Amino acid sequence: MPVSAISAEEIHPSLWRASQLARGRGHMVDTGYPVLSTELPGGGWPVGALIDLLVQQPGVGEMRLLQPALSSLGERPIALVQPPHIPDGLGLRYIGLSLDRLLQIKPPKATDALWSAEQILRAGSCGALILWAQHAQSSSLRRLHLAAQSSETLFIMVRPLTAAQDSSPALLRLALRPAAEGLIVDIVKRRGPIRAEPLSISLQPTPVLFSRHARLSRRPLAEVVPRSLPAEVVA
Amino acid sequence: MLEKDKVVIADRAAREAGVLLGMKRGGVLTLSPETAMYERDIAREAAAQREVGMALLKFSPDVALLDEATVIVEVGASLRLFGGLLSLCRQAKSMLNTFGLTARISAAPTGQGAWLLAKYGQRHGGARRVLQLASLERALLPLPMLAVPEIRPFADWFSGLGSKTIGDVRHLPRAGLQRRCGEHLLYSLDRAFGTAPELFGWLELPPTFSARIELPDRLEHADGAVFAAHRMIVQLCGWLCAKQLAVTAITLSIEHERGRQALAPTLIEIALGEPTWHEDHLLHLVKERLHRVELAAPAIALRLDASKVDSAAPDTDSLFPEPGGSPEDHARLIELLIARLGDENVLRPAPTGDYRPEVANRWVPVSQAANNSTFPDGLPRPTWMLATPMRLLMRQHRPFYDSSLRLMSPAERIEAGWFDGELVTRDYFVAQAEDRSCYWIYRERISSRDAEEAPRWFLHGLFG
Repeated sequence: MPVSAISAEEIHPSLWRASQLARGRGHMVDTGYPVLSTELPGGGWPVGALIDLLVQQPGVGEMRLLQPALSSLGERPIALVQPPHIPDGLGLRYIGLSLDRLLQIKPPKATDALWSAEQILRAGSCGALILWAQHAQSSSLRRLHLAAQSSETLFIMVRPLTAAQDSSPALLRLALRPAAEGLIVDIVKRRGPIRAEPLSISLQPTPVLFSRHARLSRRPLAEVVPRSLPAEVVA
Repeated sequence: MLEKDKVVIADRAAREAGVLLGMKRGGVLTLSPETAMYERDIAREAAAQREVGMALLKFSPDVALLDEATVIVEVGASLRLFGGLLSLCRQAKSMLNTFGLTARISAAPTGQGAWLLAKYGQRHGGARRVLQLASLERALLPLPMLAVPEIRPFADWFSGLGSKTIGDVRHLPRAGLQRRCGEHLLYSLDRAFGTAPELFGWLELPPTFSARIELPDRLEHADGAVFAAHRMIVQLCGWLCAKQLAVTAITLSIEHERGRQALAPTLIEIALGEPTWHEDHLLHLVKERLHRVELAAPAIALRLDASKVDSAAPDTDSLFPEPGGSPEDHARLIELLIARLGDENVLRPAPTGDYRPEVANRWVPVSQAANNSTFPDGLPRPTWMLATPMRLLMRQHRPFYDSSLRLMSPAERIEAGWFDGELVTRDYFVAQAEDRSCYWIYRERISSRDAEEAPRWFLHGLFG
């Protein structure tokens, strides 16, 4: 039998070829965006592993990107550790998160933030943990990744785009850029082949919904004409 | 260790220097002047014994303090709960380690037998833990007769008879022994061998818990008090177990050295959301709190009080545990976070009904009771709010933030706050920068008085 005929996952479930996506081991949470899900190993956000989201500045749409996954976690609380600005309760509710499950932790120091994240992961009672960190040493990243592996918590770190240069133990690293419809996602690291072209994801609800420019562009003129002349009137 | 100016205990280093038991203080100083000598303090020994007894209540409600620094615990009913005799002994040993004490632990079907084994067991080549009466007898018979306190007054007389071990004494005729040595000797032996019933004065528990430790040295940093605090927490847990209580609030007070004027002790109040009797959890909380405390003056003593107790509710052993852990786990996590970060840094959202966004967006400490109010849906609000609105530059009559901003929504006029002195008159817009990220900005509406000024724009939120 030629070597290429044996598929890698027959030898061991955690093996994969460089040309194919790894099969996700363990629990996955669906991203809610089919475009993104098909590009991720296992078809969703991996639970119990470090996920890096790299953003130029907070507020590009990272919370809206995570919202479907966060909402699918059931009743378990969501911890926001060291958010960059004050999270707006009504704003979070507007994008579809349940306020009863949110927990904001404002550590006075960066080391306290890492400590809190580790405690939350060790306790494992939160469904998701989102940690904002400007600087993180690779030793502390590894430590958090290890803590995440023993828990059933969706663990996401939001870090500046410049951190994409540094190595990270994260299973999945995505760079996010704002776009007209929502987000452009670059997959910086995944268990699978390198994807050069970025993904475009449209996020809901878009804040420009009330704009007259947006309304014009969404409803083409061609549709308007037949509606203004109902069928029976024409007949 | 000296008692009445004579050496009663000498450690290995002292013995190597030639110090013998029974030596006088002067003799010791001649042999090795650097030997540290301590006067024996009976009262502190008794207090330590009592502390250990209190902590051992965790294993069984029946704990008795006996002579010669021995504590007896009746564990017959607790073996299964603590995973067998060996594991129980191991747990007791690690508990004693937290006190900084070493102990010989023995087990026997009779209390008196266990006492003899603990005092003299392994030294004479026998087992220290026996489970059957028959093997207890085999273990006790070869012990020296002086092990039994009641034999000691008659030691010379017995050695005259040629007796050396307990077995030799037991083979002597009972009637003669009773006539010559009184009934206490026989009764004590019978209790050890299990032929006479045993009665112990079990440890009586104080109705409230309060423990105090004098630190061996002055303490400059609160972190150093963790060891002493752990000692008291172990006692507290023993007390709670025996009383079947759980603690909801504890107070740790740090007494300071008396300087020029007396300082009031530093109080650390730890309130728990969920009643607990777990040593690890309490220790964690105390550790984090001590980490945050700054001492005003060096500490010399610690005191721990259980200020609020509740009856304990046992854990439910559900067959299929929840993946996210129980609600108690979560409550414990929250307590731990509060203990380290402070109450004001662990928050949950509690929006209020107000038009002003910065007032409406309210976060309260998790420990505060929830108030659920309903709000209109579909109010477009940003995900992130700046703590203070940021004044935007103007370029070509447009607000500018990294790039010039384009307004993407009709205005939302907010005018409120005239009733509490923080009037806002603003028109909010959604604006989009050239890199397509969206901002929530507002234009301050200017009254007709200063209409000649240019409109002022502020950045207030980000759509995350």
